[in-house]
Amino acid sequence: MKPPLFLFHHVTKRFGDRVLLNIDEFAVCAGVCTLISGDNGAGKTTLLKIVSGLVKPDSAKVHVNDAEMSWAKARAKIQRKVVYLHQDPYMLDTSVERNVAYGLRLHKEPRTSIYERVAEALRWARLDHLAHRNARSLSGGEKQRVALTRARIVNPSVLALDEPTTNMDHQSRISTYQLIDELRNEGMAILVASHDQTGFTPIVDHHSQLVGGKLIAVETAFRRGRGTKITRFPG
Amino acid sequence: MESLTDASLKALSLLVSGDAELWAIISISFGVSLQAILYTTPFALLTAYALAHFEFPGRRTLVSLFHTLLAVPAVVVGLTLYLILSRSGPFGDLKLLFTQTAMVLGQMALSFPILVAMGHSALQSADQRVWETAHTLGATPVRAMFTVMHEVRYGLFAAVIAAFGRIIAEVGCSMMVGGNILNYTRNITTAIALETSKGQFAQGIALGIVLLVLALVLNYSLSTLRHRLAMQA
Ligand SMILES: Nc1ncnc2c1ncn2[C@@H]1O[C@H](COP(=O)(O)OP(=O)(O)OP(=O)(O)O)[C@@H](O)[C@H]1O
Ligand SMILES: [Mg+2]
Repeated sequence: MKPPLFLFHHVTKRFGDRVLLNIDEFAVCAGVCTLISGDNGAGKTTLLKIVSGLVKPDSAKVHVNDAEMSWAKARAKIQRKVVYLHQDPYMLDTSVERNVAYGLRLHKEPRTSIYERVAEALRWARLDHLAHRNARSLSGGEKQRVALTRARIVNPSVLALDEPTTNMDHQSRISTYQLIDELRNEGMAILVASHDQTGFTPIVDHHSQLVGGKLIAVETAFRRGRGTKITRFPG
Repeated sequence: MESLTDASLKALSLLVSGDAELWAIISISFGVSLQAILYTTPFALLTAYALAHFEFPGRRTLVSLFHTLLAVPAVVVGLTLYLILSRSGPFGDLKLLFTQTAMVLGQMALSFPILVAMGHSALQSADQRVWETAHTLGATPVRAMFTVMHEVRYGLFAAVIAAFGRIIAEVGCSMMVGGNILNYTRNITTAIALETSKGQFAQGIALGIVLLVLALVLNYSLSTLRHRLAMQA
């Protein structure tokens, strides 16, 4: 097995008196999909944001490229590799198409090739009929699908998905599971925080539950060998 | 002294006949105020962004300082600038007193706190997720800043319009540092003050009409922007 992309040690985060997170070790590995479950307020969002370089932990060490460093030192490296998807995604006040193009337009790529890729991604996500709508006028589930498309199109090494399927209909959920499975098989590291355990258990490699600030490994009956093709998805 | 009706009729004819002196005054007003807004806006918005985005000691004091500066009367700004630019002042050698440049500087000083205060509240209302989304998708801090500004653009336009409205209608500072020189530093407000004191109301009324129409246009744009802002929320 390849070494992890990032190995987080001793991650602690407190709000006021309350110690929200106190995690000994958390690994982010290429080609591995990890499910994080836990009650409301358990700290899933906070953990994903720390791992994505968006929220500063009170303390954390990160092992990356054979070097051990503080989270603050590793932050830039983390941000370059990880894309975080909000639980309740923010749509920029512009068209769906331009929302999806946002990450690509940050780099010097010709516009025509950007919009070809965007059009293809939108077709795949069955959002092409909404391409020119203002993204803020979309429904909750549509916003989540736009956000997922906007995140995957930049092709990050790590995708941190915060409740990606909550508002989605049956068909969109299934295509999201398929997408995640596909991206993972292509070598992306995927972290999912979700209450949708029945949906995700068949495709994830690891499942941890966040309880009292600690991650507890959950053994799943569905735990599968790498590379198995998924044929059935639970509703 | 002419009757009010006579003066008003003369005012209208001055406006429609394209009286050269009148339109020179109007164009000086717009030229000076537009320059002042143009130069001030980038610095003011950067300051506003820094105040809204970064945590540093003294930040809240600075914000309330800018709110306090909003209340400083134009004549006080004029007086200060006069002292600085007058021959015995620290920048006397630049010979800027009674020039358009001095007027621009005065109006810049007047518009800065409005732009910062209103820009700050617009930027502060931006959703935290805007910055996070931009950043996580790979935006540099500068790009992320522009994305945040774009999301609250109506609030920022409103700040610019309000600041422009204040400085184009301002009289105290322009009078003191401009000197009301015909065809050079005489703008709408200083011309009105002068003509009225001479008992010549026609030009004053014509210029007053221009300011009123401008105020209407600016207020209409502001309320349109407010409406857009409300729709956005
Ligand atoms: N900036 C903050 N300031 C104070 N408390 C916070 C802050 N952010 C999060 N918290 C608290 O930390 C706790 C965990 O929040 P978090 O969003 O990580 O939970 P979660 O596991 O994602 O919950 P959910 O299942 O509802 O999404 C909550 O009690 C929340 O109130
Ligand atoms: Mg959450």
